[in-house]
Amino acid sequence: MGAECRPERFGTAEWRAAIFRHVSDVSLRMGQIHVADSGPSDEALLAGMAVGEQAAVVVFVRRYQSRVYGLAYSMTSDRILAEEVAEESLIRVWRHAPVFDPRRGSVASWVLTITRNLTIDALRTRRAVPTDPENFAASAHMSLEQNPEDAVQRDDAHAMVRTALRTLSPEQRRAVVLAGAYGRSAFEISEAENIPLGTAKTRIRTGLLHLRSTLEHSGKTRKTDE
Amino acid sequence: MSDDTICEKFADNLAEMALGILTGRERMATLAHVESCALCTHELESLSWATDAMLHMAPQVEPPLGFEVRLFSRIGVDELGARRRASRPRWILAGAAAVVALATGLGIGLSVGSSSPNAKVEAQAHSTTSKPMLTADLTENGSPVGVVSLYGGSTPALTMDLAESSVHGIVTCEIVTDNGATHKLGSFKVTHGYGAWVAPLGVPPDAVRTAQLISPDGTTIASATLG
Repeated sequence: MGAECRPERFGTAEWRAAIFRHVSDVSLRMGQIHVADSGPSDEALLAGMAVGEQAAVVVFVRRYQSRVYGLAYSMTSDRILAEEVAEESLIRVWRHAPVFDPRRGSVASWVLTITRNLTIDALRTRRAVPTDPENFAASAHMSLEQNPEDAVQRDDAHAMVRTALRTLSPEQRRAVVLAGAYGRSAFEISEAENIPLGTAKTRIRTGLLHLRSTLEHSGKTRKTDE
Repeated sequence: MSDDTICEKFADNLAEMALGILTGRERMATLAHVESCALCTHELESLSWATDAMLHMAPQVEPPLGFEVRLFSRIGVDELGARRRASRPRWILAGAAAVVALATGLGIGLSVGSSSPNAKVEAQAHSTTSKPMLTADLTENGSPVGVVSLYGGSTPALTMDLAESSVHGIVTCEIVTDNGATHKLGSFKVTHGYGAWVAPLGVPPDAVRTAQLISPDGTTIASATLG
């Protein structure tokens, strides 16, 4: 397996500008300079990856590999398949780093959406059996977190989403998870659940509306998604 | 947002588009609609946020051993040399060293602007040289776990990059100078063996003989010989 082609370099100005912004954010503690615990932002790392900075690749992969592998594994329950998908997902992120558009959402959402879509493709190609949607909805407690403070915050965010999903009826929950996590169309859900297409569409829509409403009322904010 | 504020005709489609399952003509028609309807655009963004929450809910699970090695090999990255047992590991310039190197490449130095713990660093020009005067391996029980670099200029600085050390938590970084004096540079966080920081030296770089990491109980975790 040889080394893959690296993305073309285009002006290092963006990478330097991103580092400059990071340097400007370095804070003073106890009379010493301390690089911010969170390190460069995701956007700065993507900018670095886009110009071929190896350091940025290493930091980004180590920041995201557990989340990417975790999502793939929660969808497939297959460690080998999940590993393959995780590897392909991160390579795709690396390749497409130059074209990431922050106006369309966060880096985290972009990375996880790539992972989700590649997992769906892999499941279909191999005709593999995905994780039962009920198990996917219940899997979020298994998180491995490096930073205890982040673990608490992330567990709280996970708990909110799990709780919100539990407030849905079983039929709505299955429809929303099958659509959102497994990419099943309304038609595929109607076939799988043996229900009319209109019923499938209604379950999807009302389930998602209910999920959104519950999350909003529980105080979940966009920040806890990162 | 209640349903009667959005276009009912597209209500189902908006949910399916947010979930990423709308295709074909329905998708094209919905895309065309949201371009001209602010309410539906807002609804789509709001529903997409809820969809993303499900993906973010998935647990973090450490991939199997060797995952990074294979991935970096495919990308062509020379990964941090902790797994390489060469006499001098080849380290990727990362973390604090990269910050200093690129910052000085921009003509930006780092210096203390105030003694207040909450003060931000004032950026000044050309106070730290762009290349390290000295670089040495940081070793823990004889194994290389990082790199220490000293930078000169009017604001001498030390950078330390740590990888695959055994330590996790708060550590203290110290230097020992040629007169035997020990200087504490600061306390920093190491996360499961990884950490990177930059700190002003406060002494001429050529006076530094040793840099070391100290655990909260006073044990020397790792050290580097610099002179």
